[in-house]
Amino acid sequence: MFFAFFVLTVVLSVFRLYIILPGSRKRSSHVVRTPRTYTIAVYLGSGGHTSEAVTLMSSLDPNKCNRRIYVINDGDDLSLRKALELETKVAKQEKSSYSILSIPRARRVHQSLITTPLAALYSLMVCSYHLTLLPLFSHGHRTFADILILNGPGTCFILCIAVYINKFFGFHAPYIVFVETFARVNSLSLSGKLVRPFADRFVTQWPDIQAVQERSKHWLV
Amino acid sequence: MHVFLTIGSTRFDSLIASAFTELFLSSLRKKGYSTLVIQCGNSAFEFSGDIQNGETQTLSRAGVEIEFWKFKPSLQEDYEKADLVISHAGSGTILDVLRMPKPMIVVPNPTLLDNHQEELASTLEEMGHLKAATVENLPNVINEYDPSNIVPFPPFDGSRFARIIDEVMGFI
Repeated sequence: MFFAFFVLTVVLSVFRLYIILPGSRKRSSHVVRTPRTYTIAVYLGSGGHTSEAVTLMSSLDPNKCNRRIYVINDGDDLSLRKALELETKVAKQEKSSYSILSIPRARRVHQSLITTPLAALYSLMVCSYHLTLLPLFSHGHRTFADILILNGPGTCFILCIAVYINKFFGFHAPYIVFVETFARVNSLSLSGKLVRPFADRFVTQWPDIQAVQERSKHWLV
Repeated sequence: MHVFLTIGSTRFDSLIASAFTELFLSSLRKKGYSTLVIQCGNSAFEFSGDIQNGETQTLSRAGVEIEFWKFKPSLQEDYEKADLVISHAGSGTILDVLRMPKPMIVVPNPTLLDNHQEELASTLEEMGHLKAATVENLPNVINEYDPSNIVPFPPFDGSRFARIIDEVMGFI
């Protein structure tokens, strides 16, 4: 009896995951919202990832993208500084709001393989708290964000899982946009490979096979 | 004329070691470069003990005035002062320097795991935006390098990403 229930749960879960994965259904175009404003969350992963993510954010019109959430790792002062630098430039032009969300690292450099799953689980719990629980029980913003921008490194996969927990239970979930880094010319990064099946929009900056002079048309940073 | 050499946030022992050799310095001198600033990061080399607490040291060798230190919060000012930037092939540094724009020679760091610096360096060299070198052939590359042949790097265009987001939101 218990076994049958277990099998049924697994089968239904797999079916649910199949339904919510991008590509398993026809892409429905988003409804135009009024007013035409939206909230963007962006993960600043460190070093080069942060620089590129901040450059991407600088492309967006703060009138439309009027709430911005910068997700950074605990203690990543460089990413924090870059986010604040960008926001000082924005603040000079527009009235809009931003917030910083600090999450624990899923894995530190040189962390042992035994404690990594624990650290990743803790990181996922914190992400879920902000992406699922807070919006569910808050009176203000009922959603975390409309769009979540990811560009690596591997840790950004935790945020991806948190989004899929929302999708699984049918809660509002941000649209995942993954932008592969400018550094990857011929192959995808590990984070790119991990996130690819889950991203609603997956963008690379270099075409695979094309004449050299055509390539620059695809740079986003 | 002035050269700035940077190796990024990690370490690049072999490039830093070669930067202090007579061979490298005299190749700079021959091309008219008389001052050199080196950002050493955490590299281990003959003078690394002298800068480990954040000091700035100076040295004169083979007719070149050298200044060296580990890190700075921003390298923007050093890029601006330089007539030539020699760097590891990190994508962030490449974008920053080519957008200045400044002539650039990059040396991919062969010790980095999952080394994709090599592919970015050689692709951008093929396109004529910069010159790629190895630690071994760097003095030769400096000798042969003519910055007047650089293909200008396209400026940043934010409209492409803005368009992607507008599409996602259903605005267009």
